[in-house]
Amino acid sequence: MPTQLLFGTEVLLNGLMAGVLYALVALGFVLIYKASGIFNYAQGVMALFAALTLVGIMDGQVPFSHLINAVLGTEVHHFGWHINAVVSIILTMGVMIILAYCVQQFVFRHLVGQEPIILFMATIGLAYFMEGFGDLMWGSDIKKLDVGLPQGGSFWIEDNSRWLGFGNEDFYGFFIDKLDIVATGIAAILVVVLVLFSQYTKQGRAMRAVADDHQAALSVGISLNFIWVMVWSVAGFVALVAGIMWGAKSGVQFSLSLIALKALPVLMLGGFTSIPGAIVGGLIIGVGEKMFEFTIGPLVGGATENWFAYVLALLFLVFRPQGLFGEKIIERV
Amino acid sequence: MSNEEGYVTDDGRKIGGTLMEMKNITLRFGGVKAITDISFDIKEGEIRAIIGPNGAGKSSMLNVISGFYVPQEGEVWFKGAKRPPMKPYQVAQQGIARTFQNIALFEGMSVLDNVMTGRLNYMKSGLFQQAIWKGKAEREEVENREVVEKVIDFLEIQSIRKTPVARLPYGLKKRVELARALAAEPMLLLLDEPMAGMNVEEKEDMSRFILDVNDEFGTTIALIEHDMGVVMDLSDRVVVMDYGKKIGDGTPDEVRSNQDVIDAYLGVSHD
Amino acid sequence: MAQPSQAAGGLTSIPALLHRNATEYGDRPAYREKEFGIWQSWTWKETEAEITNLALGLINLGVNEGDFIAIIGRNRPYMYWSMVAAESVGAIPVPLYQDSAAEEMAYVLDHCGARFVIAEDQEQVDKVIEIQDRLHQFEHMIYLDPRGMRKYDHSRLHEFAHIQEQGHAARDELTPELRRREAKLDYSSICVMLYTSGTTGKPKGVVLSNRNVIESAKNSAEFDHLRGNEEILAYLPMAWVGDFIFSIGQAYWCGFCVNCPESADTLTVDLREIGPTYYFAPPRVFETQLTNVMIRMEDAGKLKKRMFDYFMAHAKKVGPSILDGKPVGFGDRFKYWLGNLFVYGPLKNTLGFSRVRVGYTAGEAIGPEIFDFYRSLGINLKQLYGQTEATVFITAQPDGEVRSDTVGVPSPGVELKIADNGEVFYRSPGVFEEYYKNPESTASTKDAKGWVATGDAGFIEPGTGHLRIIDRAKDVGKMADGSLFAPKYVENKLKFYPNILEAVVFGNGRDQCMAFINIDLSAVGNWAERNNIAYSSYQELAGHPQVLAAIKDHVEEVNKSVAQDEMLSGCQIHRFLVLHKELDADDGELTRTRKVRRRIIEDKYSDLIDALYGGKDEIFTETEVTYEDGRKGSISATLKLIDAAVVPVTTQKVAAE
Repeated sequence: MPTQLLFGTEVLLNGLMAGVLYALVALGFVLIYKASGIFNYAQGVMALFAALTLVGIMDGQVPFSHLINAVLGTEVHHFGWHINAVVSIILTMGVMIILAYCVQQFVFRHLVGQEPIILFMATIGLAYFMEGFGDLMWGSDIKKLDVGLPQGGSFWIEDNSRWLGFGNEDFYGFFIDKLDIVATGIAAILVVVLVLFSQYTKQGRAMRAVADDHQAALSVGISLNFIWVMVWSVAGFVALVAGIMWGAKSGVQFSLSLIALKALPVLMLGGFTSIPGAIVGGLIIGVGEKMFEFTIGPLVGGATENWFAYVLALLFLVFRPQGLFGEKIIERV
Repeated sequence: MSNEEGYVTDDGRKIGGTLMEMKNITLRFGGVKAITDISFDIKEGEIRAIIGPNGAGKSSMLNVISGFYVPQEGEVWFKGAKRPPMKPYQVAQQGIARTFQNIALFEGMSVLDNVMTGRLNYMKSGLFQQAIWKGKAEREEVENREVVEKVIDFLEIQSIRKTPVARLPYGLKKRVELARALAAEPMLLLLDEPMAGMNVEEKEDMSRFILDVNDEFGTTIALIEHDMGVVMDLSDRVVVMDYGKKIGDGTPDEVRSNQDVIDAYLGVSHD
Repeated sequence: MAQPSQAAGGLTSIPALLHRNATEYGDRPAYREKEFGIWQSWTWKETEAEITNLALGLINLGVNEGDFIAIIGRNRPYMYWSMVAAESVGAIPVPLYQDSAAEEMAYVLDHCGARFVIAEDQEQVDKVIEIQDRLHQFEHMIYLDPRGMRKYDHSRLHEFAHIQEQGHAARDELTPELRRREAKLDYSSICVMLYTSGTTGKPKGVVLSNRNVIESAKNSAEFDHLRGNEEILAYLPMAWVGDFIFSIGQAYWCGFCVNCPESADTLTVDLREIGPTYYFAPPRVFETQLTNVMIRMEDAGKLKKRMFDYFMAHAKKVGPSILDGKPVGFGDRFKYWLGNLFVYGPLKNTLGFSRVRVGYTAGEAIGPEIFDFYRSLGINLKQLYGQTEATVFITAQPDGEVRSDTVGVPSPGVELKIADNGEVFYRSPGVFEEYYKNPESTASTKDAKGWVATGDAGFIEPGTGHLRIIDRAKDVGKMADGSLFAPKYVENKLKFYPNILEAVVFGNGRDQCMAFINIDLSAVGNWAERNNIAYSSYQELAGHPQVLAAIKDHVEEVNKSVAQDEMLSGCQIHRFLVLHKELDADDGELTRTRKVRRRIIEDKYSDLIDALYGGKDEIFTETEVTYEDGRKGSISATLKLIDAAVVPVTTQKVAAE
């Protein structure tokens, strides 16, 4: 096999892995959008917030230590204990559920029936609030997140794929990040679980019902408030998973919330209302931008990853506004 | 449960005591009065109609019963107890199912899934039990499906069981909506203009279904309709509304001979 | 061969066959019915118990030997059990068409003097109640589905399940009586009475004995190698002789399973789920299915459509040969195998024909394209020719000798002869006993030697020995110049076009032929939709200039084809019109089995016929119609009368006598 092709394959694989993470964030968007018609700008910040909380709990950080120290003149920073990763994740999930409850109870419950643009503005407000709140709670320094996920390249794959070079000295086998492999696996499981949940459980059915028609859902005895808290919780859970992955890869920092913006083109590709669309869209963007950078990048001076996804999304908007899987928007007369 | 004696209809059905009672209900939207001081009752096992010209406040009344509107004044009594202000989903959980004038179905789901949502309140097993999908949860699913299949059979919609609701014609959608309400095995069934927009044949089918539901399951039914002819054939007792006020209440014959009702329907000016 | 072990000798009644099946294949399924979304099934043993309980219940209710029991409802196991239970107690089951109006039922119920009626549901019960005051012998009614009947007066009304319970409760006292009555049944006792719908006059009650039914079932089962593991779907009217033979005669003789659909609307789904191995349908059903397939393909994606067209063309070429076991090259076989993988297999599966081993069509001529379509898919569709009076079978096509223009060779045990006027006569063990209370008709149909007139004109093809039917003998007439007038022959050719649902040709005693045409709303409607032609009603579509032009093309093609047949070239259509309403059984224009009632149409639309012969270009007309609920109304329209090109006839009138 020619070297170029082998490297191309490696880029493709890495692109797929990146795509999975985009898809995870996009998934959070889709869930909330379907169930409540809210375009949740804060999804990325939720991932950041979840990751911050997780690190804080694991390291035994004292929440609001900055504030406490400033007001009380104390010097507390750490409780001095470390908590097991699994327990921390469960605790963090608890925090996300509380957050979901608060978001519904204090914000969106009062905005039922408002214009979509109002709801959207509310999520922007929510995003900035959560960003600041997260900073205040856990501090604004860049943190390392280690929940025990494997790190670094997989030597096994590298060793076992070397023969594909057929004696080519330049090829050392595929380099694939172990974390990416795990992330892909977890994302796949997450999607299956979400699909099973929405198709076969009582709560899932109720969620689909609410997504479809509020009035009808009420008439069969479904509490909208409960479902919306649930949806925000599920979105919080997805955000937590995404936060863990990104955090483990590039550290927990403010830029985490920017991946939310990458999810936008993913949604335009996949459609705002389709779970499979979010997955496929994520993969296309992930692979697309890596391959584009690899093939065209050198010709135009690189850094195409910054804009490729948006240009692709723009093309889609022109030719297929409802996305690959989205429902065709036909206003019935 | 009954706090008043029932009666026996002309065709020999025994009607029980009072199931629901509206006491001096007044509903305002801003300054506009939609309903003014209306009282009436619905007895167990009867078919009760609320009729009146367009804009008389019939739909508002139904929305008060089903909890979609909360009246500013008056009391709602259900099963012999005063009902505190409730959300529509709580009303539904109490055993009051309804249909809508403009059809509110889950368009993205199949007929079967739609009717199954009518059973959501009967599914008691927790998320964890469902995740394991064994024993109780599975049995529950089968039991609920059985009820749903009986309803599907009853309303003769077997052939569209798997069809997405969005593809159905209007008349069938109405029937699916009724099926979903029936699947909840309600104590009180509220029908908001069940015959609106139907042709003669569809109206006859629907009338028959309504009578059969009442006959077969003993379900108490309250319905709104502006087609006088249909209502008079169908119902045991009729409340007549006009401009948000009650102008008549009684058997179809009594109502028909009531001068106020005749005036309202013939459009005599109010003065 | 897994033929039943006993000879017909000991098995001379349907109840006897039931007991044999319960003993020998007790655990095999006898009936299935889809209810509440699930296929419920009954083994032969369970069936025997159900029927016995019902029979005991009937005795308990006071049914005497020789009583008539009318059975009205759609195909359900309970209704079949009713027929067998009726026979068990020595009564005579009389199945009625469930879509008959109350008036039509009144005649039949009165004519046979039924003391008992077993009805399926409220709809049927209401009809009988409506007419019961006029039925002097009527006493009790049993209904199956209690829905909606709680408030009815139950002094003469009984629930099916209760009758069975009462029968079961009284089993100790009544079983000896039941056994005594069953023992009396033999080959000559009456098995069933079926009323023929009759194209003219009042329906006649055809009395069929056990000999008729069992011999016919036995012979036909051997002819097609039917066994105990066949699956059939019972969906055709129970009052029709074919259903009786397939779902009771052959099913009890072979011991196979009868499946009943969930409702009339779920037929396609049920068919797919059951996948019958032995299947019967009138041409109209095959036609509708084909039309639906074609409509779906028109709407399908490009790739799908091209694949369909490509492989169907290949199937047309080699499919029938492969089916008939004729030599076909390896390349063609491989391509057919591929086609089966991608097109035929999935298509057959959707249609529910994956497992069909023997399929029959009869009742009317089937279009060659339709017939060939199914055969090219590898479905062994054959034709048979039969009558109620013959207990169905007169002729049938053996495997490997199947063509669309013949109806096959005489069935086992059947003798044929053609009279001088072309009318077909037959004699067989299936020949009916008599028309009930109608000795004149019996005598004029069946002669002393047992020969029965079919009323159809036809001839036996030299060389193959296959029978070909031209038309109803009485409809074959003469044109003014003495040449042969065979309207049905021309009508069938017209009806083979998917756009044409029904056609009626006139010309007896005239110098030219004229035609009325009914368009097929689903085919033409779909065409209109694709071509953006807006229409609001059948009438508007039927009068659309483009539709008329298309029909004109069809008529002219038919003329060319008719002109090729020397004997019938005089039957070319000179002028036609497209009717403003569909011919309808409710208006008396068709029989319940959807055959054209020529005389009635001739009377009712005499103004239109006069206009056609009068050479006018258009005519205003007003027609009375009956709605489904029995109310009357009328519709009016201005119809265009259209000239069609005819091929000049060069040969002289051959058939002049």
